[in-house]
Amino acid sequence: MIVCVAVVGHQNNPLYLQSFTEADDALKLHHVVHCSLDVIDERVNNPKRNAPALNETFLGLLYPTENYKVYGYLTNTKVKFIMVTTDLDVKDADARNFFRKFHAAYVDAVSNPFHVPGKKIASRSFGARVSTIVKSFGSGTTA
Amino acid sequence: MANYLAQFQTIKSSCDQHRRRRASHRHETTRVGFSQDLDEFKTILKPRLKLIVQNDEREWFIVFVSKAHPSNDQASKMAKRVYARLESDFNTKKRERCCKFDLHGPDAEFWDDFDSKMVDCIRNTLDRRVQFYEEEIRRLSEQRFTPIWNFCNFFILKESLAFMFEMTNLHEDSLREYDELELCYSESVNSPGKHREFGGLDTGDDQAALLNRGFKALTQIVQDDVFREFEFRQYIFACQAKLLFKLHRPIEVAARGYAFVVSFSKTLALQENGLPFCFREVWVITACMDLIKATTSHYDGTAVAIDSEREFCRIQGDLYSLCRIKFLRLAYLIGYGVEIEKSPVNSASLSMLPWPKPATWPSIPPDSSAETMAKEKASSFQHYFLTFNLLVMLHMILQAKSREKIFNIHRKPLPLEPSLLLREANRRRAFLSVGNISELYDSGDGSGLDANSKPSPNKSASNYMARTMSGPATSETSLPVDRPMRLSEIHVAAEHALKQTVSDPNFMTSLSSLEEFEKRYMELTKGAADNYHRSWWKRHGVVLDGEIAALFFKHENYDLAAKSYEKVCALYSAEGWEELLADVLPDLAECQKILNDEAGYLTSCVKLLSLESGLFSSKERQAFQSEVVRLAHSEMKHPVPLDVSSLITFAGNPAPPLELCDGDPGTLSVAVWSAFPDDITLESLSLRLSASSSADEGLKAIKSSDARVLVPGRNIITFDIPPQKPGSYVLGALTGQIGKLSFRSHGFSQDGPVDTDEFMSFEKPTRPVLKVRKPRALVDITPAVSSALLMNELQWIGLIVKPIDYSLKDGILHIDAGAGLKIEESQMIEIETYGSDVEHVGGTDASKTSSSSTDTRKVEKVPIEDGKIKIPDWASDVTTLVWFPVRAIDDTIARGASPASPQKQSIVDGMRMIALKLEFGVFLNQVFERTIAVHFTNPFHVSTRVVDKCYDGTLLLQVILHSEVKATLHVKDIWLDLQSGFEHTGKGDGRPTSNLFPLVIAPSSRAGILFVIRLSALGDMDELEKADSMLNIKYGISGDRTTGAHSPVPVKPDDSEELVFKIAVKMKRPVLDPCVAVGFLPFSSDCLRVGQLVNMRWRVERLKNPEDASLLADEILYQVDANPQNWMVAGRKCGHVSLSNEQGSRIEITVTCVPLVSGYVHPPQLGLPHVGEANISCNPAGPHLVCVLPPTLSTSYCIPA
Repeated sequence: MIVCVAVVGHQNNPLYLQSFTEADDALKLHHVVHCSLDVIDERVNNPKRNAPALNETFLGLLYPTENYKVYGYLTNTKVKFIMVTTDLDVKDADARNFFRKFHAAYVDAVSNPFHVPGKKIASRSFGARVSTIVKSFGSGTTA
Repeated sequence: MANYLAQFQTIKSSCDQHRRRRASHRHETTRVGFSQDLDEFKTILKPRLKLIVQNDEREWFIVFVSKAHPSNDQASKMAKRVYARLESDFNTKKRERCCKFDLHGPDAEFWDDFDSKMVDCIRNTLDRRVQFYEEEIRRLSEQRFTPIWNFCNFFILKESLAFMFEMTNLHEDSLREYDELELCYSESVNSPGKHREFGGLDTGDDQAALLNRGFKALTQIVQDDVFREFEFRQYIFACQAKLLFKLHRPIEVAARGYAFVVSFSKTLALQENGLPFCFREVWVITACMDLIKATTSHYDGTAVAIDSEREFCRIQGDLYSLCRIKFLRLAYLIGYGVEIEKSPVNSASLSMLPWPKPATWPSIPPDSSAETMAKEKASSFQHYFLTFNLLVMLHMILQAKSREKIFNIHRKPLPLEPSLLLREANRRRAFLSVGNISELYDSGDGSGLDANSKPSPNKSASNYMARTMSGPATSETSLPVDRPMRLSEIHVAAEHALKQTVSDPNFMTSLSSLEEFEKRYMELTKGAADNYHRSWWKRHGVVLDGEIAALFFKHENYDLAAKSYEKVCALYSAEGWEELLADVLPDLAECQKILNDEAGYLTSCVKLLSLESGLFSSKERQAFQSEVVRLAHSEMKHPVPLDVSSLITFAGNPAPPLELCDGDPGTLSVAVWSAFPDDITLESLSLRLSASSSADEGLKAIKSSDARVLVPGRNIITFDIPPQKPGSYVLGALTGQIGKLSFRSHGFSQDGPVDTDEFMSFEKPTRPVLKVRKPRALVDITPAVSSALLMNELQWIGLIVKPIDYSLKDGILHIDAGAGLKIEESQMIEIETYGSDVEHVGGTDASKTSSSSTDTRKVEKVPIEDGKIKIPDWASDVTTLVWFPVRAIDDTIARGASPASPQKQSIVDGMRMIALKLEFGVFLNQVFERTIAVHFTNPFHVSTRVVDKCYDGTLLLQVILHSEVKATLHVKDIWLDLQSGFEHTGKGDGRPTSNLFPLVIAPSSRAGILFVIRLSALGDMDELEKADSMLNIKYGISGDRTTGAHSPVPVKPDDSEELVFKIAVKMKRPVLDPCVAVGFLPFSSDCLRVGQLVNMRWRVERLKNPEDASLLADEILYQVDANPQNWMVAGRKCGHVSLSNEQGSRIEITVTCVPLVSGYVHPPQLGLPHVGEANISCNPAGPHLVCVLPPTLSTSYCIPA
């Protein structure tokens, strides 16, 4: 289950963060997303260690923790997409697929002429679309 | 298998006892014979040696020991011969197997030789063995998927091979073998079919042995063919780690170790119901600590690249972090949960970490009621065996009293449990029915009930109340089987179970008391934070700093707490993570408040206020504001400037910038957004403008007169701007005072309040709000008349006042008439719209369209006082003509011109100056000054001449009237008052016949009138000289004042329009009376040259006898007048020449001159000083200019060679 998705701007500022837990504990997911920026930073700043991934937007698994997984995705404009899932058995292809859709939704949202670049995404339709993508994650329909 | 095992054990045991080299030495060189005799060698030794070396399995070489003394030649020779024979028999091309040792000779060479032979042997042995093992392994690998395959055989071979490599320092190869072994093992473990025991049930298994390969006897593992995963995987890892340490790769140990711990932890989780309670947690903690300890001690950071060091630190941090989480979990289980900060980091780690899953949850041991009581007291937990109603109430109270921070901030605490521990523990007690009482209080939102009960540092009254309501713990000693455990009982049970699990007595020390727990917690957190700080993962480090700060805070070490909190806040603030910032910032504020750090506290309050409004309730925000206001009005020791850029933002109007002319003040309105939740009273508010061209903010702050209270949201503040230098200005900074607190804001916003996530855009706005234009003409005043006005008459002077895109409202025009000019103040000034501007008025100013369409040409009469005119409002934006009456005064009497007295009239005489000064602008700050010249003139210029002189002495005097003005003159009457010595002929008074009049003279035209006069008796010659004849002209004028001269302004209503112009006409007697004629004689040569003498000749002839007696002398004085720069006069310049008094007598005067310059020059003139000019006639007249050529070129120096 995806518990959280986030869009983080190129200055590491949160642009969108939505948690999908029932409990009122979004703050801990803020923390997870924020800390996972460390990993993205490290990968971006040390490209030689991940040479083949230079042109790859999908950053793969960021955190190999026991209890949840954090996946990252970095666009050309240095906007980061982060997904936190409690599924411990996630296929890379599923994650990739998810981010591809998420990216498309993001692009549509920021193409809105009323959206101010660099500001938080407040669009409700974006939220709805993200929820749909999250719900369909790993269900097989994403393929 | 037994075969392998035997070999394996042989190798093992032999290696354990001796070094391998020595061992092989012993095995391969046992047989040595001595022979110094060739025959003996041939017959005895050689066959024996052959026999020995026939066994190919063995490595061998021959050492020939020569006992021959060097002095004994015979023996030495013999020994040499034997050795040579030995070499020829046993050496092959590929390999030399013999070496010779002289007992009495030098031995240095021998030992090298010996050594190399030995190495050869060992290498060969090794190669052969490796080959053998590899072949065996290959063979076994091929059988991998057949039923006969046996892991144990495979392991023995692999391990032996690895061991051999290790012994020969081939660590890399050894490591490879172990890696392959591990891979193979995992495959075999995971393959279905054979089920192995997992292990982990022995005493001491809870302590990780992943770096201790001697932990379990290997033979035991192998002999029983158990290969328990628990033991075996740790064993393999220990072997790998050992090799990696030998290879000086502690970083890899750490990295592999972390991965191993994580994966092994997962494996342990799968086996959890077969393992002791919390076995997994304990194992992970010890494993992490072991890894940290071992890798740190092996790590020598000096020779490592910076990236590797960072990587190492990151892994260390991860290990610490993992250890910390497991430790927290254990601590939570045994009742330290209330001491754990419910921070996002702890919540993220703990709430997603599942509870231990033992087969059955540990039960409370007998005789533990005292412990239960103690736990209950220590943690002030409420037990939940109250009546239902009471429980609900309690729950509500606890909910309301969740987490109390400074400013009465209420937040629901973050969960530290994946699910309710109470329920989880009771559910896992197999015998308990599912629907127990705690189900009733599952809030369903994941937050644990126990999480509510953290006592706040300043224990509040309601907390006491809650505790009082909980009542004393029950003192039952034995539990009924079906009764659910209370939380405190769960804790006690967990602690007991943990003690059973943990074999290391020291392990439990850190959980034995709160102090020990905190000490350990601090150690782990600090370890993680410090290592993360040294790695790339700064955020991880800073976040953990926050956890350290929380502990410092708890221990009232506010100074250190504040420092750490500051770091955390700075991180969140810099990257705009406001939710997280809102969580930690109140803690920082509290520290600062306790530390009396007013500046910091204020900044924190401001920061809290400027966070997104949704993050705090309005009540909380009001509390922040009241703190700011309270501090601002209190006595601060060190008043601090406060940056409120995020709180008070401002922007200019979205409209185009205010444009001011140079020197004008203005009013600038600025929108100021206040993010304060309530109205805030300001002591002052100032705005700084900065010139967009220059970087400095060298402008004075502009104070606002109004705006004492800022309401939340948008405020429009007006600032009065004093005159500024030309240029464009942008908003600089907003400064002001709240109480004694001076604040400053750089928060620009474009068109609305700054969104709080716009943390990075405090850039200067580029759009100017104010433009002060360079000085330019704002108004132009030009005279409206183009030609001369009438002198001595009251004339209108028109001024065209043309505002240039600038209002002249309330302007005052000062008119200062210069000398010889007087403004008639009794008259009203006329102001009218200027012709060309009439349409302009109607066209551009819509508001005036209605009025101007009916009366486009507006005329208004205004008074003039002290030379000042006030510009009427309607005239402030349009070009107007200002007419004012002046009189130019000229006291002198105009004189007519005659051939005898050709009067040159200077135009300057008629010039009059008017100094104008127009003050305008809002504060009459703009001044326009100009001096204009107006030309005045008489209406006529009169010239006279005597046209004819009749024989009877009658003179015809022609008077010519030139019109001097651009207006039509109507001459109505003219009469001439003659001076004495002249009289009109006849009886007339000299008036022309009346039917001539009115004589109309068009502009610039002339009219002539003849007067017939005659000479009369003359009394005195002097009288004649002094007196003038006077010509009187009565005339009228019809002219347009816009053009020039016009009919004078009537001062009184009944003033006639007839004007009288008097002009003096000088008449002289006699008119002409030449006595002497001076003639210039032509030059003798054609041309004059510079430097050439030339004779100037004049002929002087007496025309008649002069009447004047003084001219009767028979000699006259002459004088040559020449410009000394042009002429050199050779000889006398003046002198007397005799000239007879007789009429017609003549004389010639010759003067020699030298021209000095070439060109056209005035020739010398001959003057007769004693003869009046009227008596000299120049006939023939001399040339006006003569041509002088340059000197001829001298050729005397130009002699051809």
